[in-house]
Amino acid sequence: MPQGDYIDRHRKLHGYRHDHFERKRKKEAREVHKRSAMAQKALGIKGKIFAKKRYAEKALMKKTLAMHEESSSRRKVDDDVHEGAVPAYLLDRETTTRAKVLSNTIKQKRKEKAGKWEVPLPKVRPVAEDEMFKVLRSGKRKTKQWKRMVTKATFVGPGFTRKPPKYERFIRPTGLRFNKAHVTHPELKCTFNLEIIGVKKNPNGPMYTSLGVLTKGTIIEVNVSELGLVTPAGKVVWGKYAQVTNNPENDGCVNAVLLV
Amino acid sequence: MVQYNFKKITVVPKANDFVDIILSRTQRQTPTVVHKGYAISRLRQFYMRKVKYTQQNFHDKLSTIIDEFPRLDDIHPFYGDLLHVLYNKDHYKLALGAVNTARNQIGKVAKDYVKLLKYGDSLYRCKSLKVAALGRMCTLIKKLSGSLAYLEQIRQHMARLPSIDPNTRTILICGYPNVGKSSFINKITRADVDVQPYAFTTKSLFVGHTDYKYLRYQVIDTPGILDRPFEDRNIIEMCSITALAHLRSAVLFFLDISGSCGYSIAQQAALFHSIKSLFMNKPLMIVCNKTDLQPLEGLSEEDMKLVMEMKAEAMKTVIGQGGEATNDEGVLLTMSTLTEDGVIAVKNAACERLLNQRVEIKMKSKKINDCLNRFHVAIPKPRDQKERPPCIPQAVLEARAQQAAENEKRKTEKDLEDENGGAGVYSASLKKNYILANEEWKEDILPEILDGHNVADFIDPDILMRLEELEREEGMREATDDDNFEMDGEDLTPEEQEALAEIRKKKSMLIQQHRVKKSTAESRPTVPRKFDKRREFTSKRMGRQLSSLGLDPSLAIERARSRSRGRKRERSPERGDAMDVDMDQSNKKLRTRSTSRSRSVSRAPAEFVPGAGFKDSDQKAKAIKLAKKSVKKRNKNARRGEADRVIPTLKPKHLFSGKRSIGKNQRR
Repeated sequence: MPQGDYIDRHRKLHGYRHDHFERKRKKEAREVHKRSAMAQKALGIKGKIFAKKRYAEKALMKKTLAMHEESSSRRKVDDDVHEGAVPAYLLDRETTTRAKVLSNTIKQKRKEKAGKWEVPLPKVRPVAEDEMFKVLRSGKRKTKQWKRMVTKATFVGPGFTRKPPKYERFIRPTGLRFNKAHVTHPELKCTFNLEIIGVKKNPNGPMYTSLGVLTKGTIIEVNVSELGLVTPAGKVVWGKYAQVTNNPENDGCVNAVLLV
Repeated sequence: MVQYNFKKITVVPKANDFVDIILSRTQRQTPTVVHKGYAISRLRQFYMRKVKYTQQNFHDKLSTIIDEFPRLDDIHPFYGDLLHVLYNKDHYKLALGAVNTARNQIGKVAKDYVKLLKYGDSLYRCKSLKVAALGRMCTLIKKLSGSLAYLEQIRQHMARLPSIDPNTRTILICGYPNVGKSSFINKITRADVDVQPYAFTTKSLFVGHTDYKYLRYQVIDTPGILDRPFEDRNIIEMCSITALAHLRSAVLFFLDISGSCGYSIAQQAALFHSIKSLFMNKPLMIVCNKTDLQPLEGLSEEDMKLVMEMKAEAMKTVIGQGGEATNDEGVLLTMSTLTEDGVIAVKNAACERLLNQRVEIKMKSKKINDCLNRFHVAIPKPRDQKERPPCIPQAVLEARAQQAAENEKRKTEKDLEDENGGAGVYSASLKKNYILANEEWKEDILPEILDGHNVADFIDPDILMRLEELEREEGMREATDDDNFEMDGEDLTPEEQEALAEIRKKKSMLIQQHRVKKSTAESRPTVPRKFDKRREFTSKRMGRQLSSLGLDPSLAIERARSRSRGRKRERSPERGDAMDVDMDQSNKKLRTRSTSRSRSVSRAPAEFVPGAGFKDSDQKAKAIKLAKKSVKKRNKNARRGEADRVIPTLKPKHLFSGKRSIGKNQRR
């Protein structure tokens, strides 16, 4: 016992309060009731948070209980027949699986054709022009209204220089420019912060594609050299497509799913 | 001078609590009301403020953590090493580094999102950005949870470290485990270290303080050290090594010459030689402990040789400090903490040597010159051979003598106890302070029981008088009791019994009726027929009741019944038959003449005291009359008046339930 441990020291010298354990037990016993009262009383966001926490606790408890039960209870060996199982008298026969293979390849091809644009987010909300652009007034008397400012997040290439103001119809503000995206690999189930190479397609129209607007559902090309993906031929894959899954202008970051 | 007090570090909250603290603070300290219709700049500013405020709070909190935890490189090397031994420097630095990184990252997040908020064009978008910003900050803190938990544990441990001042006069006690280090510190200080008969009872550094020559000395008890390579030493041993290495102190190396600690003298000597380098430039003393088991003289030849070798080593420290080689007192000392032999000698020797060394060092330092040339001690030379003693007036001498006499201590009970055999033998006399009429009675023996009586019962001086009084009272009561007799059912004739039963029945009935009346509102004065639905208050019934009581009801009935006024002649008093007194017609004049006894008179109306806004008693009387008159009719009709007791419905249902088409409940 170190010198400064006054609590331990006091306990060693004087022991616990005479009703310490009784109180502790009662407190513990009342705890459940208190919690349940709280659960019934809490309203609004507090109630939601509380319910969520409680639910998680209960689920965990049930899981652990089930785990313990599993280890103690006996189970039957499952008698289901596995797929492709063959009776003993057929075991030495050669089976042809060629037909199967053929149909598989055909299916694959069809799938590729059909699913060229089969993406995680097939449909997105159309964005109206007045939502996308903000009209800027120009001219000495501010009467001209041909300038537009993009109000969504954009991708601008590294070598970009703005046009002279006279000819600059669309302004892409620097504060809303992004050049990195959090890309999730759907099979690896992990996320990387990758550089954006370009905007492949914006579902709202070709103009937005050319402007490099990043909205939900936009297909972007990202630099995956860090991931070390390899083509069947053995070459390192450099760029890959990904689809934006959030509203970057609302979240302040670009999240995307890699199209595999 | 730097004080090492780690108790003041603020609590490091857990990651979840941290987030809660900050977010609730943001919620409480920034405005909360915002509407869609506000100007966009106002909206942006509203949310920017939230983001910035949150960041600022995170920054402040994390900064206090970083600032308050000591930097191991900046503090005294003793504490630096001790903390390293206890908590591992690398881990400690990593944790603080993680906190620092989190702080920077939070700053960056806030900056980014404030920039984005400048482009926010709607309330929704601004709000989403704010949510995202706060969320990212909280995530960063959640990732920091491990470091925060670690720092909190360290904080708690650090607060309980003994407060050792590395720069003050220090005596350090070291040696093998179980050689009596803790017993020694317990003897000379009030540290109250745990002493047990097994090795490694002391697992950390302990501090006590002792006085010598009006100076305070810090005594440090260290855990035992084993003789093994430096790398193999565990944390407990390393604590002592750190203390030995970094504290400028007098070192007492404890030697158990009896070997009852489980280690031979040879082993202890080996340890001494292996850590000898740590004793450089420090006053070192070899203390042979447990002489009660084995005196130093009785050691075998070889052991004695080992001890002498150690002594020779210790002597070097004396020489190194400029002492003389022959001066070997205070280098090898013997003591027994059990019998307290030589304990004080050891302490004094250690303090003395430490003090000497410190004074020497100070004298050698450059600063001393600054002080020394300010000193001048004047010693006057004698002028001639004449003796010049101090002159003290006679009065002062007398006063002093008187003072001394006064200070002579009164003998207390405690002194008496000590003189007469100590506690348990001496029993204090309770009688000697009795205040009695005669001084000689003090020691008299008072029996408890005398002639079969409890003496205490007769102690009361006027008990006889009281007894007499009681008896008298008793006699009086008996005399009065003779007149009273209890009515008993036994000695009654059957008729009487019947009558009694009748009376009792009647009584109980009356009580019952009364209760019924009282419980309902039936106690109203006169009830018009309209309200007497059950026909309870009929004159017929009254007649029956009266006759059952043995009274003639006719008069009462006559009076009670309303009648037409009749003709005038009939109303006027009859003059004719003056003697007809028994007639039911009343005649005031006649009666006043005929009755000899005085009539009972109803109470005179009370004198109205003016007041309560009335001018005089007449006015008041009039007002009261009016008031009575105004309620008369209502009372007669048994209607509710303002003087009736009312239990109002506090929450009328119709005002508090149901849906409203417009407005709120309180507007109804």
